[in-house]
Amino acid sequence: MIEVIVNGTRTTIPNGLNIKEAIQALDYKGKGFAVARNGTFVAVATYEKTMVRDNDSLEILAPVQGG
Amino acid sequence: MNDELGMRNEEWEIGGKRLSSRLLIGSALYPSPANMEEAIKIAGAQIVTVSLRRQAAGEGGGNAFWEIIRSLGIEVLPNTAGSHSSKEAITTAQMAREVFGTNWIKLEVIGDQYNLQPDPFETVKAAEILIKEGFEVFPYTTDDLVVAKRLAEVGCKIIMPWGSMIGSGKGLMNPDNLLAIRKQFPDLQLIVDAGIGKPSHATQAMELGYDGVLLNSAIALAQDPVKMADAFRLAVEAGRLGYEAGVMQEREFASPSTPTVGTPFWHQFD
Repeated sequence: MIEVIVNGTRTTIPNGLNIKEAIQALDYKGKGFAVARNGTFVAVATYEKTMVRDNDSLEILAPVQGG
Repeated sequence: MNDELGMRNEEWEIGGKRLSSRLLIGSALYPSPANMEEAIKIAGAQIVTVSLRRQAAGEGGGNAFWEIIRSLGIEVLPNTAGSHSSKEAITTAQMAREVFGTNWIKLEVIGDQYNLQPDPFETVKAAEILIKEGFEVFPYTTDDLVVAKRLAEVGCKIIMPWGSMIGSGKGLMNPDNLLAIRKQFPDLQLIVDAGIGKPSHATQAMELGYDGVLLNSAIALAQDPVKMADAFRLAVEAGRLGYEAGVMQEREFASPSTPTVGTPFWHQFD
């Protein structure tokens, strides 16, 4: 297992996962959200070739009201 | 919908789209989603601002809010609200482009947490990079002419100076500054963004020759947001018509409007 920070909260996921697998392991479902890893945007097209490392910080954002 | 509302302003173009409404509104702070939807419709708004925030695990993406906005069939303008650096704003913009499917971005980089004043240096830096990445940048800035000049230099075709602090409702703090930006950049699209509190503020901005106004709190926090949305639609239309009609020159002295020829009792007692 490795430690990652997901939306500001520290948690653990199995080692060796890419972004797509990590999202599933973290129980994020469906579409309509976007991901950044360590402050850098990760496009959907690159989920499978982007590996999640120990102590990575993931931001998973979805639409909300805005001004 | 806008034909039913009897909107009278000529179409205009912004960000490659032709629109009839010059009122851009936010989607936050309404008493309910249904109230927001009704207010947007009555406002005749064709651009609505949205944002991105952290999503909890287990929730499906494409939430109910986004479904409502999509069902309205209008343009969405995602913001980078909450960003405090160009890097944060750029990442948020890239994420927004993927989620919302638009290259439009309302660029907000906050420089001070107390008055939510934009950071001009980071805003210009982010704008330059985002434009190179193909974004249509709507930068939120102060009413500083030089900052507007820098934004134009890096390729911004739209500039959104504040009227006053976000959510303050104080109206246009420095109309002279706003007018200077208008006069300096006749070909840019200028939107007054932030600080508008009542319909007359929006009218004033439009009378200055601004191309539109962007507001949220003034409608959403009104006692009756739907009625206020209607009022703002009319206020923006009135201001635009007034600008197009050409406002009279101010004078430093009184000048009677009733003809003086044939004034009764004229010199009768001299």
